[in-house]
Amino acid sequence: MNEPAALEAVDVTVLYDGHAVLEGFSMSLGAGETALLTGPSGCGKSTVLRCLLGFVAPKTGSVRLGGEPLNAETVWHLRRLLAYVGQEPELGTGTVREVLERPFHYRANAGLRDNLKRIGALFERFGLGRALLDKEAGDLSGGEKQRVALIAAILLDRPIFLLDEVTSALDRPGKENVADYFRSRDDATVLLVAHDPELFSFADQVVPVGPGSGGAR
Amino acid sequence: MSIVEIGVWQLAAAYLLLAFPLAIMLWYRIPMIGDATVALVRMTVQLIFVGLYLQVIFQLNILWLSAAWLLVMVTVADVSIVRSCSLRLRPIALPLFAALAAGTTIPLLLFVGLILRRPNLMDAQYAIPIGGMILGNCLRADIVGIRTFYESIRTGEKAFLQSLAQRALLHEATRPYLRKAVQAALAPTVATMTTIGLVSLPGMMTGAILGGASPVTAIKYQIAIMISIFSGTAITLALGIYLTTKRSFTPYGPLDRSIFKRPRKT
Repeated sequence: MNEPAALEAVDVTVLYDGHAVLEGFSMSLGAGETALLTGPSGCGKSTVLRCLLGFVAPKTGSVRLGGEPLNAETVWHLRRLLAYVGQEPELGTGTVREVLERPFHYRANAGLRDNLKRIGALFERFGLGRALLDKEAGDLSGGEKQRVALIAAILLDRPIFLLDEVTSALDRPGKENVADYFRSRDDATVLLVAHDPELFSFADQVVPVGPGSGGAR
Repeated sequence: MSIVEIGVWQLAAAYLLLAFPLAIMLWYRIPMIGDATVALVRMTVQLIFVGLYLQVIFQLNILWLSAAWLLVMVTVADVSIVRSCSLRLRPIALPLFAALAAGTTIPLLLFVGLILRRPNLMDAQYAIPIGGMILGNCLRADIVGIRTFYESIRTGEKAFLQSLAQRALLHEATRPYLRKAVQAALAPTVATMTTIGLVSLPGMMTGAILGGASPVTAIKYQIAIMISIFSGTAITLALGIYLTTKRSFTPYGPLDRSIFKRPRKT
């Protein structure tokens, strides 16, 4: 039997205030693959990610994660598969250390607390100094916030990454560093939106989003 | 000592004091005269009717009548909170009603039964004014607390959704907002308790003294009512947020924006 797709959307339409913000969208991504969502601004790329997270429910169509249909009952445990880094991430209140530790206070992640030991290595990997851990999250620059949000996602050890313009505030070496990290992660499934698509030329798929785009290319 | 009766003409004399705010409004051309006049007329008419009605209730002193009056007060408070928070009545009013009823009734029954040791727990002379004081404070606290809770989730939606994405359950994801809301709502009561008696003489104590009670008796009433108010606001707020969240979030976790009267675009 074939292994189910890591994530799959079939003919998904999402409405907001009665208007379609995503129409007839389909895609399928295998485990360990990387896909880049492309399309003009406002075409619904972020909506695809929000839909996979269950933040917006599709009006029509279906979403499956790891072969299991996403619905109001399954979404709470299917999120165990997902790590999400949003556009201009909002880290919440407290120090960077508290921000990174917060998800491990949730009951569902209690068994993953040992992952916090990897903070030092990840900070080094993404060019952040350890002193940043005691800084207020609200005082970080845009680039620092993006890297901290990325590290928070990586620490959760999820098999699927949903990344929404996670390099937009980084300088060129920073962007390349992030791209290199995901190129090296053969085990991870990555679906991303990026303003610098050339950085992610290693993507297995380029998926157009917008009117008339029915699927992957 | 007993309270001095105020005659109609003496009461009319109180309206002479209105010359000061009216003069200030006219002098500085503050566009409030219309609103202030309407409020003044409403206050007078409402209090005359309530006074007459309560007099009948006090004379009859029937359990179900006192309970019914409290129920009316809770309903008015409920609608007033929902409207002040710019929320829709349908999803919020019923759970909030339950929270207000519990937050008012529990401290009220303990006050009348345990502290005053009245055999009739709904003795109109005690249940209605004490219930009213507790409820009035619950109303103020709920307007601050419920509004803070839902508004801070709406404005901080990114962080809230991030916590859901990180597998927080709904009660885990809403906890920071609940903490902030309860703190904001209880802060005025805490501040009042801190300065009570120093900055102003509180309402119940003043009423008891005017009614002929000794200051020592009056402060005992005041201490008991402050604790009842504090406990009532905490119960109403925690229960109000807990019960309304059941109908204010989508089954997937995000806040259901249709609970707001004027949905804000993202």
